Amino acid sequence: MGGTPPCASCKLLRRRCAKDCIFAPFFPSDEPQKFAIVHKVFGASNVSKMLQDLPFQQRADAVSSLVYEANARIRDPVYGCVGAISQLQNQVKQLQMQLAMAHAEILCFQMQNDSSSLVNPQLGVDDDSDDNKSFLLNNNMIMASIPQSMNFSSSSSVFPESLKRESLWI
Amino acid sequence: MSSINGGRRCAACKYLRRRCSEDCILAPYFHPSNPHRFACVHKIFGASNIARMLQHLPVHKRAQAADAMAWEAYWRVQDPVYGSNAIIAHLQHEISKAQNELQMTRAQIAIIQNFQHQQHNQIQPNQQLQAFWALEDEPFVLPDLPHL
Repeated sequence: MGGTPPCASCKLLRRRCAKDCIFAPFFPSDEPQKFAIVHKVFGASNVSKMLQDLPFQQRADAVSSLVYEANARIRDPVYGCVGAISQLQNQVKQLQMQLAMAHAEILCFQMQNDSSSLVNPQLGVDDDSDDNKSFLLNNNMIMASIPQSMNFSSSSSVFPESLKRESLWI
Repeated sequence: MSSINGGRRCAACKYLRRRCSEDCILAPYFHPSNPHRFACVHKIFGASNIARMLQHLPVHKRAQAADAMAWEAYWRVQDPVYGSNAIIAHLQHEISKAQNELQMTRAQIAIIQNFQHQQHNQIQPNQQLQAFWALEDEPFVLPDLPHL
């Protein structure tokens, strides 16, 4: 008697908590809700199989992510954490649009500057032309310094075609 | 064997090797032509959990719920440690990157606008100069001197 208390999973499942209980390191007895949520969404046997398939050092992270997903599904029984992913994707798209507009604005400035230097030859006076050239130079430097990182295409393909339902519902 | 869709069991009942009844709750969402979808879902959530979760939802929400669970299961099969969390982390990183880039681009626009404003101010003295020289055509008239 007086041994370690059963882990939260064995307490919930009402079974003896063995020394090598796979849940014990990750579901301490003082956090019963953590296991309850995971068990409700995934089931104890599924979680056990998932953890068994992982090396020990990765199990803590796996449990954390399972708890996160289970919590998300409890909060939103229809979409779970897919709802959060969808919102984040929308945010990425909006930012992409804003970025495209900002880049277009810079291009407009460049074009305006190009056309004004053709229309106003008095700007060709030495001092002004130097300013004009320096503006173009600065603008080109600015354009060159814009990182070409508009590659968010991967975020739009997180939902694989193979998982979509058939045309049954169309 | 009782079945739906002209004699075919749904992917769930086929996988579980059981009779697919007419009111099978999983049948509408796991078509037999896509067995991989149910296999993922069963591996992660379990057939009985899926059925229970769908039963607790109104009928018009079940299709979306089944789709969402299928995606979550798929991501978890692909990444057994992080599952859909990896997707979330990736998107959050993309958002942060895009926000930084947007901030930088807007700063660049402000620089360009400031430069243009300065240029415009430099032009104006020339216009004043032109206006001054235009007066050359006018006769120069001495002002009346005060009578001392």
